[in-house]
Amino acid sequence: MITTQKSMAGLLRAGMYLLVALTAGLSLNACTTTTIDEFRQGDTGINTGESIVILGRRQGAAYETGADFVECVGNRMGRGNGAITVVPEQIFVDALFPWFEPRTAPMRSEDLQQLMAQPLVTDKMTEFGVRYIVWLDGQTETTNRMGSISCAVGPGGGGCFGFGSWEDDSSFEARIWDVSSHTAVGTISADASGQSYVPAVFVPIPLIARVEANACSSLADQLKQFVQGG
Amino acid sequence: MRSEFNPGRISSLRRRTRAIFLWLAGAVVLSACGASTVTVEGSYPSPNIQPLPITLGVYYSDALRNHVYIERTDAGKDEYLVNSGGSHIELFNTVLPAMFRQVIVLNDPALANERGVDAVFIPNIDEFQLGMPQKTRLDAYEVWVKYNMRLTAPDGGYIADWVMTAYGKTGQETFGSAEGGINDAAVAAMRDLASNFSISFTSVPDVRDWLQPRLQ
Repeated sequence: MITTQKSMAGLLRAGMYLLVALTAGLSLNACTTTTIDEFRQGDTGINTGESIVILGRRQGAAYETGADFVECVGNRMGRGNGAITVVPEQIFVDALFPWFEPRTAPMRSEDLQQLMAQPLVTDKMTEFGVRYIVWLDGQTETTNRMGSISCAVGPGGGGCFGFGSWEDDSSFEARIWDVSSHTAVGTISADASGQSYVPAVFVPIPLIARVEANACSSLADQLKQFVQGG
Repeated sequence: MRSEFNPGRISSLRRRTRAIFLWLAGAVVLSACGASTVTVEGSYPSPNIQPLPITLGVYYSDALRNHVYIERTDAGKDEYLVNSGGSHIELFNTVLPAMFRQVIVLNDPALANERGVDAVFIPNIDEFQLGMPQKTRLDAYEVWVKYNMRLTAPDGGYIADWVMTAYGKTGQETFGSAEGGINDAAVAAMRDLASNFSISFTSVPDVRDWLQPRLQ
């Protein structure tokens, strides 16, 4: 009977630790530094009924621009003040198959002119109302992983001890092409970095730097302004 | 309701439990020893290109229809069987009708004259390679495929014979299965083939020479 009471107390303690860890993890975020650079080559503006499409560059052998990052930027641009209609990447790429596949996608804005000479491509672009194509290129790298955490569980409860940390670096570039004039109108780059920490004394407390999320929101806000001519 | 002690019933229950346990243990051991089969499944969009004014016969050989690639461990044991034949047929059946005015699937290339086709297209897989993360040390599943494409006249005469390669990769997901990764990489490779084939078909020198008088 005493053993049952002891293990119940251990379970309760472990549950409490878990709750504290989760609450702390959700409420604590490590610092992130984000830098946005904009280079404008032409005038921009978007009318009602016009849309944009955001596409990830996937030609490189070393890395691919993540589909989740492309989706994140699109979602953020499509909501809030001055929301812009964003055509989902996969729907656009499938509808314009085979012209926007990794091997066949136009690499320069001059290639867009050649592509738009295809009547079927022009028809689809008109159908979607695409005014701007935004090419996203980049990735998030994790470096400087340090430390270790050990956890143990026994009949009287469990706990962790140790310290872990790592650095995330996001570097993304958005090139904006105007479909109506077949020209590149600008480039926006977003660089974000941050250090994440996980100290553990009985309970691991993750202090996560939301590096990619910050790069996404900063880039999306800047892109929204840029496309609207701001 | 009364429950009575019945020794016969209990021993039968024990026998049944033991049988279930042995069956489960056997299943676990067998699944650990056997190779996993991946039947490639995916959907392929129809190309947005101007169809050529040609009636094309297409012949899928048994080698293509039943293509299975076997990935072996370093010790030479079968690890994964990648069955992509069915998906290749689905791919060509989606792509070809968008590229040509009419496409007729032939059960035998000798029937081409009888069916009134202008040419017969015979795709085949020459090589299939799989890159697994644990072997390549990359965070991705990769698939390379080398194809042999043949275009013959209805009487079997030579028109063109060329090689095409396709590549697809998909990132390794934290909780994703190897089977899912292999499937996605194979689908990406086949999509790569479809895009390259549909755009470059008319640029193959022998095909271009054969097409020229027919397009005038």
